[in-house]
Amino acid sequence: MTEGAQDMTQTSGTSAPARSLFAQSAHLRRRRRSETRLKLYGLAAMLLSAFALVALLGSVVVRATGALTESYVTLDVTVDPAVLDLGDNPSDTDIRRADNGALILTALQNRFPLATGRSARKELKDIISGGAPFELGDDIAADLGVIGQTSAFRLLASDTADLYLKGSYGTLETLTPAGRLTVTEGRRSSVTLSSTADDFLPALAVAKAGLVRTAENLREKASRQDNAVTVYTERAAAAADDDARQTQTDKADRAAAKRDKFLADAAALEARAAAPGGNEKLDDDSRSFLVTVAGGWIRLTEVGTNSATGEMLTTATLPVTGATGWGLHATGLAESDRKISDRQIAWLESLDADGAVKRSFNLRFFTAADSRAPELAGIRGAVVGSFWTMLVTFLLVFPVGVLGAIYLEEFAPKNALTGFIEVNINNLAAVPSIIFGLLGLSVFLGFFGVPRSAPLAGGIVLALMTLPTIIIAARVSMAAVPPSIREAALGVGASRVQTAFHHVLPLALPGILTGTIIGMARALGETAPLITIGMVAFIVDVPSGITDSATVLPVQIFRWSDFPEQAFEARTAAAICTLLVFLIFMNIVAVILRRKFERRW
Amino acid sequence: MSDPTQPAATAADAAADAPAPEIKISARDVQVYYGDNHAIRDVAVDISDKMVTAFIGPSGCGKSTFLRCLNRINDTIDIARVEGQILLDGEDIYHKSVDPVQLRARVGMVFQKPNPFPKSIYDNVAYGPRIHGLSRNRADLDTIVEKALRRAALWDEVKDRIDTPGTGLSGGQQQRLCIARAIATEPEVLLMDEPCSALDPIATDQIEALIHELRASYSLVIVTHSMQQAARVSQRTAFFHLGDLVEYDTTETIFNNPTDPRTESYISGRIG
Repeated sequence: MTEGAQDMTQTSGTSAPARSLFAQSAHLRRRRRSETRLKLYGLAAMLLSAFALVALLGSVVVRATGALTESYVTLDVTVDPAVLDLGDNPSDTDIRRADNGALILTALQNRFPLATGRSARKELKDIISGGAPFELGDDIAADLGVIGQTSAFRLLASDTADLYLKGSYGTLETLTPAGRLTVTEGRRSSVTLSSTADDFLPALAVAKAGLVRTAENLREKASRQDNAVTVYTERAAAAADDDARQTQTDKADRAAAKRDKFLADAAALEARAAAPGGNEKLDDDSRSFLVTVAGGWIRLTEVGTNSATGEMLTTATLPVTGATGWGLHATGLAESDRKISDRQIAWLESLDADGAVKRSFNLRFFTAADSRAPELAGIRGAVVGSFWTMLVTFLLVFPVGVLGAIYLEEFAPKNALTGFIEVNINNLAAVPSIIFGLLGLSVFLGFFGVPRSAPLAGGIVLALMTLPTIIIAARVSMAAVPPSIREAALGVGASRVQTAFHHVLPLALPGILTGTIIGMARALGETAPLITIGMVAFIVDVPSGITDSATVLPVQIFRWSDFPEQAFEARTAAAICTLLVFLIFMNIVAVILRRKFERRW
Repeated sequence: MSDPTQPAATAADAAADAPAPEIKISARDVQVYYGDNHAIRDVAVDISDKMVTAFIGPSGCGKSTFLRCLNRINDTIDIARVEGQILLDGEDIYHKSVDPVQLRARVGMVFQKPNPFPKSIYDNVAYGPRIHGLSRNRADLDTIVEKALRRAALWDEVKDRIDTPGTGLSGGQQQRLCIARAIATEPEVLLMDEPCSALDPIATDQIEALIHELRASYSLVIVTHSMQQAARVSQRTAFFHLGDLVEYDTTETIFNNPTDPRTESYISGRIG
C-alpha cells in the first residue's frame, strides 16, 4: 500500500494531516517485515538449489575428465612368425586369433629384463590392456610386411596404468638430494646405496612413522589383554571353588604377561623411532621411495640417514661411485593403498622418461561398445541402442498420442465414458515407470513374444509410459487454439475433420512437439522399466536393428556405476555427461520450437 | 439434400415494397435450448433475397443465437438444441440427411471479432474454394481469390502483399478479409454477427459501404448492437427481446412506426 513511502521527501510547511502517508503503523511494519522474511526464504531456497545443481554438475564433469584421454605405450615389438604360428596365407581372423599377447610380453621383457618370476611377469603384462593383442593383430593384418621385423607399435595401456599416469594413485614426489651417491650391487638384484649427505632422512622419517604405527597397534593389543586380565580377575573373585579360582587366576596371569610383552615391544619401537639415526625397514604400509640412478630405478627397502639398501627394479649400470644428478622420489600412496605396484610405477616412469608413453583423446569411448575392461569400454552400443529405442517410441507414441488427443479434444462427446478415459490418462502419467516395465515383461515379452532386451520391447514400454504425457500436452495446446479459428473454418464450410487437421493441428503443433520432445527426453533417461525387460544385459555388439539385443545410455550408466574397477568411475561420469548433453539438446530444441512458433491471437 | 420438404407458407407478411422479393430463408416455430435454458421462443422470420435484414435487440436477447442457427454453426455446441423448422429455398436445413458442411458453403458467416486464419491473405481466401473444389487449377484459384478480394473492397490494399499473413492487417482490413473469405465460396446468404463491433468508425463505414454493395448479389443478415447501423444498412429489421421476436417489419416501419411498445422503448433508448 505505501511501499516506498520513506523514499518520498516530505514537503515541509504545512502541518501533517491526521492520516499521514508517512506515518507507519505497527501493523504495517509487521506486515513489511514478514514480507521481507518471505522473500529472503525464497531467495535462500533458490540459492540452495542453484548451489546443489552446480555442485552436482561440477562433480560429474570433473570426474568425467578422467575419461577424456587414454594412454598408449610405444614398444618395439618383434613380430616373430614362429610365435604367431601362422600357416600360409593367413586370414585377418587368423592373425587376430594368433598369440599376439606373447609378442607383447616378449617385447616388454626385452625392455625390462629384470622382470623375472611369475608375479613380476604378470605385473608386467598388466600395464598393457587386454585388448592390445587384438589391436596388434589388426595392425599386423593391415601390414603383413611387419612379420619377421621389429618395429614400434602403439599399445593401449591398461586401466591401472592409465589411472596412475593420470595421477589417480597419487603423484610421484621428487626430492632433491644434496650428496653424491655410491651404489654397489649385492646378491640378486639387491643393492646398497650411500650418499655423502643425509639424503635418506625423509625416507627414514617415513620408516619411523611406520614404527610408531606398529607400536600403536601393539598398545591396542595390550589394552585388549588388559581387559582380559580384569575379566579373569573378577571371575576368579566370584569363583565357587579353589580349582576354578586357580584356572581363572592362571588365565589372568597369562594375559598380563602378554600385555606386558606388547607394552615392552611398543616402548622399544617408540624408543627406536625417537632415537636419531638408525636403520629401519620400509614396509608396504609406508610410502615407497624410489631412486633413479645410472638409467635404472631402485626401490629402497631399508634406510638409514645417509645409506640404504634397495632392490633394483629396472636395469642400472652398476657400480656407481660419487654420482651427482641422481633422483629420489616418494610415491603419493603406500603400495598397499594402490592397485599399481612399485615395479609397475618404475616401468611406467622409465617408459615415460623415454617418451614412450603418450596420451591421446579417448575417441574409443564414443566408437566402442561395452567391455569388461574399462580402457576398452565405450558408449557407442548404448547410444545406438538408445537411438533405436527412441525411434520405436517416437513412431508409436507420436501418431497414437496426437490422434488420441485430437479425438478427445475435438470429437469425443462429453459423457461418462470419455470422462473416465480422461481421468485414466491423467492418472497414467503418474504411474511409476517400473510398473510399465512389468507390464511390458508380462504382456509384450510373455504374451506377444517380443524379443527380450531388444529396442523394440524397450520402445513399446517407453511409448506406453510417454503416451499420457504427449496426449496431455497435445490436448492442452489444442485447447489453446482459440475457438474463433474453429468457427472461421466451420463458417466457410470445412468439416470438423478438416477443421481439426487444417487449422487446429498445425496451430497446436509447436506445443505438441514441445510436449513430445519433453516426453521423449524423459523416456531417454528412463532406466527402471528397461531393466525389467532385460535391457540390462552385458552386450558387446552395437545393435544394428530394433530386434537386436541392446542396452541404452541410462542403463549403461547404471551398470558401470556398479562395476568395481576404479577406471569405470570416470567412464560412468562421462556417460552421464553424454546423456546430459542429449537431454539438454532436446530441451533446447523444445524451447526453440516454442519460441519460434509461439503465436498470439 | 435429397429430401426437400414442401415450401412453407411463404410471404405471410411480405414487405410492402413494390415487387414482392423472393424469400430465401423461412423460419417457423424456432426454439433454441442451451441445456435447460430456453434461449429462443417461437421465432418465425422470412428473410428475403438481395436484401439486408438486421436483427437488433439488447444483449442476451437471442439475436446472435438465432443467426447462428441459420448455418447450423450452433451444432458445435454440445448442449445447444434447436427445434422448429428453418427452410433454405424450401429445404429443411435441420433435416437429418442434410450435411451442415454443404449448408455452410451456401450460407457464409462473418464473425464479431475478425478471425483470419494465421496464414497468408491468399490462403485465407483460397481455403474455402480449395476444400469445396471450386477451382480446377492455380490460375482458376487466383481468379477466384482476386474476385473475392475485389468484391470485399480489399484488393487494392493487399494486392502487393497477398502472401503476407492475414493476421498482419488492420482490424478493418481483417474483417474485410473475412468477408472476402466468406464470399469466395459463392454463398447465397451471408450472415454477419456484429461485424463492426470491434472496429473503429472509419473501418465501420467501409464495412457498411461494402454491405450496400453486396446486397445486390446476396441475401444478407446482420446482427447489430447499433440501431443507427441497422437503420443505415438494412431494409428489414427484426427486434428481439428476451428470446422473443417482438416485431419484424421494414426498417422504416420499425424505426418510425413500431407497433409494439417494447420496440418503441428500445428504439427511443428507454430499455436495452
